[in-house]
Amino acid sequence: MNWQLVPQFAITGLLAGGPIALTALGLVLIFKSSYIFNFAQGQLLLMGALLTWWFAVEHGLPLWMAILLALFLSALLGLAIERLALRPMTGQPLLSIILMTLALSQVLQGLALLLFGATQRNFPQMFSAANPYRITTPFVYNDRPIVVILKQNLTWSFVVAVLGVLVIGAFFRFTKTGLAMRGTSEDHELAQSIGLSIHRIFGLSWALAGVVATVGGILLATSSGLDLSLSVVVLAAFPAVLLGGLESIPGTIVGGLLIGLSQGLVSASKVSIVRNAAEIMPYIVLLIVLVFRPEGLFGQKRIERI
Amino acid sequence: MRKYLLSLLTIMVSISLVLGACAPKPTPTPVPTKVPTATPVPTKAPTATPVPTKGPPDLTGQTITIYHFGDLSGPYAAITAPLIHGAEDAVAAINEAGGLYGATLAIKFADTAGSIDEAVAAYDRFTGEDDNPLVMITYGSGEVEALAQRFAEGKVVNLTAGLSARGFYVDSGYTFGLGPIYPDQIGFVMKFLKENWDTYKPAGAGEEIKLAYLSWPTAFGQGALTDESRAYLADLGIEIVAEEIYDLSPTADTTTAILNGQAAGANVIWTNTLAFGTSVILNDLNALGLRDQFVVCTDNWGMDLATYAFLANPAYGVGLIATFPYLWWTDTDNPGVQYAQQLFEANERTAGEHNVGYLLLIAGVDLAVEAIQHAIDTGGYENLTGEAVHDALIDMSPFEALNGVLRVDFSGGSRSPHTAQIRMIQGGPDAFAVIQNWAEMPDLRPAE
Amino acid sequence: MAILRPAGEFDTGYARDMATIRRPWQWWLLLAFILALYTLPFYAGQSLVSLVNRIGITIIAVQGLNLLTGYTGQISLGQAAFMTTGGYISALLVNNLGWSFFAALPVAAMGAGIVGLLFGLPSLRVKGFYLVMATLAAQFIIPWFTRNAFPDVLNGAQGLNVQVPILLGLEFNRPQRYIYITLTVLILTTIVAHNVSRSRLGRAFVAIRDNDLAAEVLGVNLFKHKLQAFFLAAVYAGVAGALAAHNIRHLNSETFNLTDSVFYLGMLVVGGLGSSLGPIFGAIIVELLIEGATLFGPFFIRTFPSTAAGAVQALRPLFFGTALMLFLIFEPRGLAHRWYLLKAAWRLRPFSH
Repeated sequence: MNWQLVPQFAITGLLAGGPIALTALGLVLIFKSSYIFNFAQGQLLLMGALLTWWFAVEHGLPLWMAILLALFLSALLGLAIERLALRPMTGQPLLSIILMTLALSQVLQGLALLLFGATQRNFPQMFSAANPYRITTPFVYNDRPIVVILKQNLTWSFVVAVLGVLVIGAFFRFTKTGLAMRGTSEDHELAQSIGLSIHRIFGLSWALAGVVATVGGILLATSSGLDLSLSVVVLAAFPAVLLGGLESIPGTIVGGLLIGLSQGLVSASKVSIVRNAAEIMPYIVLLIVLVFRPEGLFGQKRIERI
Repeated sequence: MRKYLLSLLTIMVSISLVLGACAPKPTPTPVPTKVPTATPVPTKAPTATPVPTKGPPDLTGQTITIYHFGDLSGPYAAITAPLIHGAEDAVAAINEAGGLYGATLAIKFADTAGSIDEAVAAYDRFTGEDDNPLVMITYGSGEVEALAQRFAEGKVVNLTAGLSARGFYVDSGYTFGLGPIYPDQIGFVMKFLKENWDTYKPAGAGEEIKLAYLSWPTAFGQGALTDESRAYLADLGIEIVAEEIYDLSPTADTTTAILNGQAAGANVIWTNTLAFGTSVILNDLNALGLRDQFVVCTDNWGMDLATYAFLANPAYGVGLIATFPYLWWTDTDNPGVQYAQQLFEANERTAGEHNVGYLLLIAGVDLAVEAIQHAIDTGGYENLTGEAVHDALIDMSPFEALNGVLRVDFSGGSRSPHTAQIRMIQGGPDAFAVIQNWAEMPDLRPAE
Repeated sequence: MAILRPAGEFDTGYARDMATIRRPWQWWLLLAFILALYTLPFYAGQSLVSLVNRIGITIIAVQGLNLLTGYTGQISLGQAAFMTTGGYISALLVNNLGWSFFAALPVAAMGAGIVGLLFGLPSLRVKGFYLVMATLAAQFIIPWFTRNAFPDVLNGAQGLNVQVPILLGLEFNRPQRYIYITLTVLILTTIVAHNVSRSRLGRAFVAIRDNDLAAEVLGVNLFKHKLQAFFLAAVYAGVAGALAAHNIRHLNSETFNLTDSVFYLGMLVVGGLGSSLGPIFGAIIVELLIEGATLFGPFFIRTFPSTAAGAVQALRPLFFGTALMLFLIFEPRGLAHRWYLLKAAWRLRPFSH
């Protein structure tokens, strides 16, 4: 370990975990209500970012308006996907549903490429790219205190992402719709029998997932740039979801941050192969979780009977 | 069920149509190739040229095809698109000017999306369609490495912008570079830095150059570090203190790579990437407030107008040093650059394509055409094969393509250029100032 | 489906009852078809031969996935990773140890199978998309391993140049020659896959797919059979990966990637899960669809000049995704099922039911 780098990388990793948590939230929202694991979440995120870029840069709209429009459109996109692609799949086996979302991811990726092209582009900056925050830690290395440098855009993306998760969490906890959604996730038939329209609730969760994905996409794009590979962030979010527990909203924050932290910590290793393992850390964590606690940290254990 | 399908399809089609209609950045239609139909009636019946006597043969009615394939939709698309447009515009211009001894020059493209599998399929398709393919242009390191052996077996000349050492010199023979191999590039710049360290060293840096190699985990990104270049750097007394990787994406976070380099005591960074890779490093160096601690160097693709498209602030580019194996758009006194500029304006290419790719491929096509012409001159049109073009390239060396925009020398078993300049960004975009004029580079090709 | 037979055809023994091919004319038809494939290089252009060659290799990979996902019901997104494993093992044996490709191929298959077993272990504890995640982990960890471990041997991200197979001095360096290797291996893998599916093992697989708890209660050893399915699938992947690597003559961590794994699953669904014909139909149709995107692309660019020039590659995921969605909604049992229906309708004609 390069001990002088540990505080820095731990904090950088945690901050990078923010957008992962937000992406994970999108997955959990859909899973909670309809037991569908959405492999197309990364493409939803990409679409949201591309739409924002399109309105803001190509059409010169003010950024806030572009974001609002993109949020609206991605909510519509979420609704449309639920209505047209997944409702016909109700009652189909797991494989079909998984493949449906995989097919969706391919279609959306193709559409993004067709409509926007593969060129990388600059995204409007929301947070300053310069003037990092410097925090002097109590740790000392070589008689000098270790200073942690925080990039402004990373820090603020983290703040917004965590706020986003908290807002959605509060929505689930304190609003009537949230209650209905939680109720639906318990038992579809029961929910229907007490007069909840489960189709509306499915639609709502997909729309919410679209919105959450767009926020995530904007945050990622604004701190670096935008191209079609943006969708791969979801590959770090899958393990975060499983780590946190498939149905747990607080779990997404914990999962996202732990995944980010694990990536940060291995980066401080002195051995180059361990450092390079940062990219697969999410999946190593995932395998550990699967072996020792498949239901995740906050998930519910299900007991199967014939 | 059927209802769902119909509405789904309708929505998708309408979305694509609506968005397609007002799609962003309308790329110009691929080259309005003016087919030079019926060039002035040939006075003599254009039978296949007789025994090559003096004077150029008349090949009116013949077609000579150049093939090219590259990544237009994958990770390297940003650089490949202008390369391809350069090639296509250059071919169209040659046809307008009367073709190659009257023969029409055709150019055929296949998109590989950066996949080697696709590149092999494209090669099979092209060689299947054409019994006598002469020249194929490729754009990616991975593709070159995978196909070099095939080009040699099929005796098809491969001009390439993918400058991997292995592609040129291992199991190869027909692959020729439009730029120096990456090991040469890193050796060249490091030697220069070593000799001028007092001028360029960051404030507070020691007397020794400590190199951090931060790059993509791909064939291209790792292409500059070979046994030969490592040995050469060691001879120069330059220690590679860190080798870090970051994602092949303009959204990559290079914080950990940079800080690991810093912790290892590095004062020079080499990144073997395209423009957006260099930009991520420069952005993050600035975001971390560490820009003044490093000299940042890159390969020839890293310093480009495209670099600015990804820089958070144009000022971040200042001080970037790169190998520069060709002239630049600002060298307006050169007739080759003037010619490229004319083509660029005539074809109304977007400002974003006013970059290295476009310029280099106009020079590349010029190189190919000169070689084909030379092969016709020496062997006659009926003997025009890939092998003849290969021999012509060697026979012509040393050679200046497009009035010196590119300088190549394929003699002595070398298949990549070994002369280049070194430039540094001083001031705004396009201000790529020469800090080392054309000079011989270290020859770090691997043993064949 | 075996119930529907032409009138007058009776089985005269148990062997006959179990036979896959029942009538002489079926033998002749099959032979003619195989002969037509083997003589392909003599009458077809290089592009077509190269395409058939690639489709053949893909079919092998999908056949393996069919054993795992189609019969046993364990969804895997890791097939391409096991192809990478097989490809590397074979390439190293041939390049570094001077083995013949034909000796290296079975070793590569076994090696991939063992790695497959390893990543199949979580299947004992988890299922459904938890298992998908475990196989997805393989899809990340294995390519990462080839990029970072043993750089002297595996050559990191740059990957390996892979040698051409040589048999008795004949170099298989053109698709016209390589296709003979592919076809021969393909016939073998098809026979094995078909027979596995109708053996005790295959029936155990199906029992696990339909209800694993019930199967366990009936005495099917879940532990053993799930691992056998993972092993077999990875063996097939290893064969396909080795074939592909020596055909491309280059191999790195991205030669077989996650997108390929997704495509293989899609091919399986389009062709028909849990049927010997499924992988063949699926791979052919999807590969043709992709090839169609390549041919259709230039036309598309001319019609919609405003779209970026990358349209050709954009059409592939678009075509594939749309086709997959349509199949999932309208014919989840795939083309193989259509084929049976068609055959049944033919035998029953003029009666439709």
